[in-house]
Amino acid sequence: MERPATGVTYQRFPRVKIRELKDDYAKFELRDTCASMANALRRVMIAEVPTVAIDLVEIESNSSVLNDEFIAHRLGLIPLTSSAAMGMRFSRDCDACDGDGSCEHCSVEFHLAARATDSGQTLEVTSTKDLRSTDPKVCPVDQAREYQQALGNIDPYDGDPQGDHRGILIVKLRRGQELRLRAIARKGIGKDHAKWSPAATVTFMYEPDIRINEELMETLTLEEKTSWVESSPTKVFDIDPNTQQVVVSDPEAYTYDDEVIKKAEAMGKPGLIEINAKEDSFVFTVETTGALTAYELIMNAITVLRQKLDAVRLQDDDADLGELGAHL
Amino acid sequence: MNAPDRYERFVVPEGTKKVSFEKDTKIMNAASFTIEREDHTVGNILRMQLHRDPNVLFAGYKLPHPLQYKVIVRIHTASQSSPTQAYTQAINDLDKELENLKQAFEDEKNRHEERMKQGY
Repeated sequence: MERPATGVTYQRFPRVKIRELKDDYAKFELRDTCASMANALRRVMIAEVPTVAIDLVEIESNSSVLNDEFIAHRLGLIPLTSSAAMGMRFSRDCDACDGDGSCEHCSVEFHLAARATDSGQTLEVTSTKDLRSTDPKVCPVDQAREYQQALGNIDPYDGDPQGDHRGILIVKLRRGQELRLRAIARKGIGKDHAKWSPAATVTFMYEPDIRINEELMETLTLEEKTSWVESSPTKVFDIDPNTQQVVVSDPEAYTYDDEVIKKAEAMGKPGLIEINAKEDSFVFTVETTGALTAYELIMNAITVLRQKLDAVRLQDDDADLGELGAHL
Repeated sequence: MNAPDRYERFVVPEGTKKVSFEKDTKIMNAASFTIEREDHTVGNILRMQLHRDPNVLFAGYKLPHPLQYKVIVRIHTASQSSPTQAYTQAINDLDKELENLKQAFEDEKNRHEERMKQGY
């Protein structure tokens, strides 16, 4: 059978430009690849990058107003620092234990014990002050944040000075009420349950390519220009105060709403503006829950996608059969 | 009540192959690849990568049913190639692209931090 010369490849070389990178937020441009790759990365970030979350709760005592299941569910939704998750095992694949928390490869144990004493105040049981991890690598994100702040590792401008620093409220206890429990956190992915998703939002947009027909634009009066600029629901265009020319002030504000195109047509000037989505340029926005940093999320997504592709390779026996078939 | 377990969506059952393929009986150089426990994430990037290969005459994918956790990728190639060859090539190219992207990200992060230090 004829073979194309070895080394034939249809590979692309994507380019990246980071615009903003904070602990839990990233904005970047991805170029020279296609929408399917951008979407695969988005999907993997949301549903397939592993994190750790509470999955099993043994309640020893619960006299609060919330029932056991309700509290267990609330505990599951607390984001835990998961930088170690990529190196952990899924408890279903773990051969060292049966996922009951006795094994450090696949699970982390948590304890919670709170009792409202007889003071008149209701006691707030929160992720910051009451949920105790047995592994310092895996703890509620607000505890990790407090620790970093105490060390002075967090830029004060990065944090939210007006923010509420009480952590995540689990339950409120009245005088004499008590909550004691043991919880097991496990590695999982967002496809299984959204509590394992490290992503708060991941979106991408096509970068627009906006072309103004300058010749036609000059046939408009200043009033017409103003009314045309104002027909856009988002502030994409502006009028230069000196030259009175229409300029594109913020192309990414364009929401592909076609309003300016319709307006141009209504003014009897079709072709005044041409707007196309560039098919190989994307602007990504990534926000995480705090379980991973935005950068970790992106890197882990690439790693996970590569693992997935590796898993769908044809096995040697398949390939042999295929070639045999081709010769027949 | 009779909903399938959630893990059914991503755990390949024992005794099942992750990827299997079946040659078309009527058309030369055409085959359908069945990938178990995968979805649009893999199906769509494979299809688009296959479209970049000039030897591929047709490439498409489908999810047969929302409760059948598999994708079917169908490939038809010109006679100098074969569906298995095109399939393997597509995966290799995607893998290299992602390896490249990872490096690009690491480099860009360093450059970005440098830009931040210089204060703009």
